[in-house]
Amino acid sequence: MHPMNSATAVCGLGITDMGRVYRSAQELAIEAVYLALEDAGLAKNELDGLLINSGITPGVDLQLHSALGLQELNVLTFMQGFGSSAGQMLEYAAMAVHNGLANYVCCVFADSPLKENKRTGAAYSNRLGTNPIAALMGIYGFAGANAMFALAAQRHMDLYGTTQEQLGQVAVSQRQWAHMNERATKRDPLDMETYHESPWVVEPFHVLDCCLVTNGGVAVIVTTADRAKDLQQPPVYLRGFAQGHNHDTGFTNVDALVRGPGEKIAAKALHMADAKIDDITQCQLYDCYTYTVIETLEDYGFCAKGEGGAFVEGGRLGPGGSLPTNTGGGSLSSYYMWGMTPVSEGIIQGRAQGGERQAPNDLILVTGNGGILNYQAALVLSPTPA
Amino acid sequence: MTSDEGWIHPNEETQPFFDGANEGVLRLQRCNKCDTWMYPFKRRCQHCGSSDLTWQDASGTGTIYTHAKLHRQHHPRHEGKLPVVIAWIDLDEGVRMPSNLVASDSGEPRAGKSVRVTFETDPGGNAFPVFELV
Repeated sequence: MHPMNSATAVCGLGITDMGRVYRSAQELAIEAVYLALEDAGLAKNELDGLLINSGITPGVDLQLHSALGLQELNVLTFMQGFGSSAGQMLEYAAMAVHNGLANYVCCVFADSPLKENKRTGAAYSNRLGTNPIAALMGIYGFAGANAMFALAAQRHMDLYGTTQEQLGQVAVSQRQWAHMNERATKRDPLDMETYHESPWVVEPFHVLDCCLVTNGGVAVIVTTADRAKDLQQPPVYLRGFAQGHNHDTGFTNVDALVRGPGEKIAAKALHMADAKIDDITQCQLYDCYTYTVIETLEDYGFCAKGEGGAFVEGGRLGPGGSLPTNTGGGSLSSYYMWGMTPVSEGIIQGRAQGGERQAPNDLILVTGNGGILNYQAALVLSPTPA
Repeated sequence: MTSDEGWIHPNEETQPFFDGANEGVLRLQRCNKCDTWMYPFKRRCQHCGSSDLTWQDASGTGTIYTHAKLHRQHHPRHEGKLPVVIAWIDLDEGVRMPSNLVASDSGEPRAGKSVRVTFETDPGGNAFPVFELV
């Protein structure tokens, strides 16, 4: 068995209020850390590791350790892997506690892009400088991540015949889950007709294909399996993990918009977990867009490349489906905390604290995606050690 | 030729690209060591790392890698023109570059279809490349 399989576990989870919470990102980060300590039943001075990841707003940085008044840190760094950061932080935290560098490492993410009286889209609109090539991107209309992922989805549709209806199926299934999540921002039922009537952002994406820009913070505390057993929350074991990073070089020989790093790391994470893909009982997949879910299911091998659209049909990912996925509603319907959205729901499910929306949790796949399918982290979580 | 009203303000590094556009050609950097073409400006070859790069005229032909329709205005140029078709173009030289697909009589865009370069001009008189289906 791999020495890291079940060697470490999550013992604390802190989730702040989510949505239009008009507080600074640093305040939200601090709040998340205190909530995680309280959740774990740990005193602040027991925390001896802190990994920090920020979103698009400034203020969540190395100074967080002094803002929190942490004097005894043995591990401290700021990290950035965009949507893969959350999973990466848990991986580095696991390696640190397993090797004795620290006992309890807190991984924190917070962001505060929503401002009062400003529309949601303004938060993530293009920030292109004065470089003439960057200016050209603005002239063409490469409007940030919405445009980049819409381009990716359209290639998938052109190559494999993936349909608008199939993208919509992801949004509809996740809204069904969100209906059962009191933390979710969008809980009203969503039908396919409403999906199709939703305004275009960058076609093939409607508004309802895009995640919900959110203010909030999430913190997760990782410790050794032995320590976690004696704490107040049920341990959620890290059975396996991996990360991988592709770089779209601008050359024509890389098909990076329909093939992410998940293709390469799925086997590594499953190997560490001593599991097969068919053993996975639920998924928490990074869903910045509906398309990302379809593409990720293919990369990890739940179906062949190009078959993800058909795979999500018939409510397979929704409540009662054979592969419960993004059971809190995901970033499309609950809250967008980058990679912390799938990580946080994976922990809730791993503890069997999902209430009405609890799904079979024997083996949970959690993925995080950063960039335009460039950066990827995968975790395999379970309530039971191997 | 250019003025403050323009959207494009070429700098020293990118002047050859925009000079080419003003002459009606797609001019890109190419590595003298390994022959790799590049977009946009680089100081070292992305493939072999050589700093021996020159500007050469590309064919201006290629295929659509992918495309999407922008429905919300993000630039003054888009006013009254939405939806704008954005696209990644795979040039015959092996370079993938961002651009627009502009109207032509050759049907709807689709990955793999052939395109050729054409040029538009910003309010300051600087030309920039866009593509049309052939």
